[in-house]
Amino acid sequence: MIPLLSLLILIPIAGSPISYLLVKRDRETGVFATLAIALVTLVVAVYSFWYVYANTPALGTYGLMEDYQWVSTPGFAVDLLFGVDGLSSPLVLATAALTVFAVVGSRRLVNRSSPPYFALLLLFEGAIMGVFTSLNLVVFYVFWELVMIPMFFLIGVWGGDRRRYAAMKFMIFIFVGSTIMLLAFLAVYLDVSPLSPTFDIPNLAGHIPDGLQYLPLLASFIGFAVKLPIVPLHSWLPDAYSQAPAPVAVLLAGVQSAMGGYGIIRISIGLFPHAAAQWAWLFLLLGIATMLYGAVVALMAKELKRMFAYTSMNHMGFVLFGAFATVISGNALGMEGAIFQMFVHAFTAGSLFMVAGYIQQQAGTTEISQLGGLRNTMPRTAGLLVAAAGGAMALPPFASFLAEIAVIAGGIAANPYTAVVVIVPVLTGGYLLWMIRRVVLTPSPESFEVKDMPWTDTVTLALYFVPLIVLIVFSSLLFSPAAPVAQWVVHLVGGA
Amino acid sequence: MGGPLGWRRLKTDFILFAAVVLGAAAIGLPFFQLSKRRDALPGCILAAALGAAILLVALNTVSPQPVPEFGSLLSSDTLGGLFGLITLSVTLGVTVFSIPTISSRANGPLYYSLLGFSALGMLFLSFAADLLILFIAWELMSLPTYALAGFDKTREESNEASAKYAILGALSSAIILYAISLSYGLSGSTQISSVIRALGANSTDPVSMLAILLFVVGFGFKMSVVPFHMWVPDTYEGAPITISTLFAAATKKAGFVAAIRVVLAASTLYVVTQNPIFTIPNIFAVLALVTMTLGNLAALTQKSMTRLLAYSSIAQAGYILIGFVIYSYSQANPAYAADATLGMTGALFHIINHSIMVSAAFLAVGLVLIGTKRADLGVFEGLAKRAPVTAFTLSVSLLALAGVPPLNGFWSKLLLFLSVVSGPFAWLAVAAVLNSAFSVAYYVWIIKRMYMDEPENGEKLNEPLIYVVIFAVLAALMIGLGLFPQIGVAFSQNAVPSILSP
Repeated sequence: MIPLLSLLILIPIAGSPISYLLVKRDRETGVFATLAIALVTLVVAVYSFWYVYANTPALGTYGLMEDYQWVSTPGFAVDLLFGVDGLSSPLVLATAALTVFAVVGSRRLVNRSSPPYFALLLLFEGAIMGVFTSLNLVVFYVFWELVMIPMFFLIGVWGGDRRRYAAMKFMIFIFVGSTIMLLAFLAVYLDVSPLSPTFDIPNLAGHIPDGLQYLPLLASFIGFAVKLPIVPLHSWLPDAYSQAPAPVAVLLAGVQSAMGGYGIIRISIGLFPHAAAQWAWLFLLLGIATMLYGAVVALMAKELKRMFAYTSMNHMGFVLFGAFATVISGNALGMEGAIFQMFVHAFTAGSLFMVAGYIQQQAGTTEISQLGGLRNTMPRTAGLLVAAAGGAMALPPFASFLAEIAVIAGGIAANPYTAVVVIVPVLTGGYLLWMIRRVVLTPSPESFEVKDMPWTDTVTLALYFVPLIVLIVFSSLLFSPAAPVAQWVVHLVGGA
Repeated sequence: MGGPLGWRRLKTDFILFAAVVLGAAAIGLPFFQLSKRRDALPGCILAAALGAAILLVALNTVSPQPVPEFGSLLSSDTLGGLFGLITLSVTLGVTVFSIPTISSRANGPLYYSLLGFSALGMLFLSFAADLLILFIAWELMSLPTYALAGFDKTREESNEASAKYAILGALSSAIILYAISLSYGLSGSTQISSVIRALGANSTDPVSMLAILLFVVGFGFKMSVVPFHMWVPDTYEGAPITISTLFAAATKKAGFVAAIRVVLAASTLYVVTQNPIFTIPNIFAVLALVTMTLGNLAALTQKSMTRLLAYSSIAQAGYILIGFVIYSYSQANPAYAADATLGMTGALFHIINHSIMVSAAFLAVGLVLIGTKRADLGVFEGLAKRAPVTAFTLSVSLLALAGVPPLNGFWSKLLLFLSVVSGPFAWLAVAAVLNSAFSVAYYVWIIKRMYMDEPENGEKLNEPLIYVVIFAVLAALMIGLGLFPQIGVAFSQNAVPSILSP
């Protein structure tokens, strides 16, 4: 059998130096080669997504498993253990798709042409694939950290005016969070059984003694909370998202934040269910706080990218909220909604940042007060901005609608009073419409010389909406593989 | 009376052969001073001798000579092999790196001769099984480096570095000698294994505690453990950069092997029963905590790259001590035997890794220093444009020092932290992890300067092929051991049992 998951990681990582050398010789060829590598990865990702959909693994098991020995000495063993289930396969697909989009978008938007840029994009993709597919805590950590290095350079070298500050802040926040997370992984190693210590998630899940779960839960949660991000660990986010070049911001908001949500579900809840259930209300409230905070700050934002950064934060709050609603109520809907939300958020956030990137390139600014009248000057861009905002507002026919409905319904199952979070989509709709009014519908300021985006780019940007619309019709593509994941969590927590 | 007997039983073997090769080179090289010609030949001779010695030590490590045949002065074990390989390889790297700059100088051959003697001292020290040979090797290693630290004799800082180092070095030698005489008084022997037994038998005697403490202090100077670290930043900054590399990557490790052979082995028998606070593991734990914390805090505030690396190397010594803590603790608490093996494996692996990482970092700084005569942080701005290979090597080494996977430093730190995370020293694991997180700030800050800031002066720096080759080897080692850690972990683990069988 073909080792599909290894290919998923190795194709982009091995493609990275190839891309570097080709872009160095000739930019156009290199970009197309990079695109080809990303497309091949996408094919593998689509197949593994389809495989999980068609052969959904039973509770607590994984599909397409691979196992290789990495380090093995008496007392210390690390296996390269890979597998996917209904939680990881959508994220693998979203990563592969967004990387393709980012490569396409970078062709025009990243002018400071330097060969390492595309190589770093591919390295980043390979590392994220590793995060989503590895089932060994050390391997997971290795990929988790590996994600950070290309991103540090992508923000710091190719970003906006304050890129150095943003890159350093990003690096320090993420690194501190992840080293704290490492403590949790170390602590569980010897806990399961003193005879056969293991880092393998499938062997750890359900076998960690209840009393030893609290501190590792907290430590791991801090690491994931920084990435998601969760109030009050979010202060790196607006800088990183707004300073990164648009295609990189797409990846940051679209898939890097999903790493946090993935980690919380797979590890914080999956390995420490007892402690998670005890403290579930705390985390649920943190989720609500993140949603509200993101929405309120976005409302006050004066600049498009910052507004979208906080929008992304507010949407990721739903993931935390939904996941812990299921932990509390035992109703699978919340977590299914959370998984759905991570997938659709990749595309809604991605499209917002990409459009903002085009506006930045043409108008030279994304300050809302200096923009206006895009309806007349850049009709295609304006149309895409409205569509992207519609996706972020969770308006039908975009599937983000289903995700938010599922999460809120899951919350109601935990406690009817949590229905107040309905205010968040209302606020989101409000400020995005207000933004559209100011940016698209006003008369354009004088001496506003812009060109609309070319048709080719309009079409590629429109592709962001394809999964959103497909999923509202075929929502079972995500919901049915996600169901066993959520039921497994309910089972681990102790089945309410 | 192990000492004199040992001489009679000593037989020819790989290690002696290696020592003869090195010694012959070191003794012969000064004769090149007689000739007026100054070329790369002396450096190449020393490099060849070191290469041969490395090969011989490697052969001995693969198939060790039986110990009884070896006399009781040297113990031919994997632990010695590990340290012998590290110290000789670093000296080889330093020698090759010195060839372009030192060869043309008037006293070039002497430089190589001194390096050779120091390497010989480290070779003996790695395998020492007797306190007398340990002390002689210690001096043989140290005395040439006092002169080497002041080798740029026209530079004031170099003189200061040499003086400071020599005075504190002499002090540490005196302390070690005092500890040796105390333990001789207790045991009537200089054989390390008998000394340890005697210390264990008299564990309630304050004299044996004093002897052990004095050993810790004496070796602590070379290991650059806080509070015996004062000479480190000044000496690393003032000495020629190649010699700073030797200090950080080789003589420091020799200090560790001495500490492992004497103090750590002593902890196996020396169990303090009367006072539960003042125990060897607790002493190590406090030293580890203070060393890593102060090292990292001080590194953050430095303006000069060499001083920053000096403090970083102090901090790394603190991580290594974690292995010592759990190992000595497990001797009285056998339940922690598995953790102790993990911890010492991590410590030994981190010693290997640190030699590689810090050599790469210092030599990369060395290239910048040769090209610009500066090593303040400002000169690193935009280095990626001026010297891409150097900037890349330096970045890899800094990330490895920070413990970022998949580089070699990650694995050894992982093992070290893992060994103490469950048990009475869990606080040390937390402190070490927080330190590690904290240290990334200054490591990454330099990477930011190199890749994201604009250079003041866009002139390209010359990167001679020989340096590029050294950098490539070191970077390949850091990445290779990170991707395939099995070799390093297994090798370090094989060396752990030798601590207990002197």
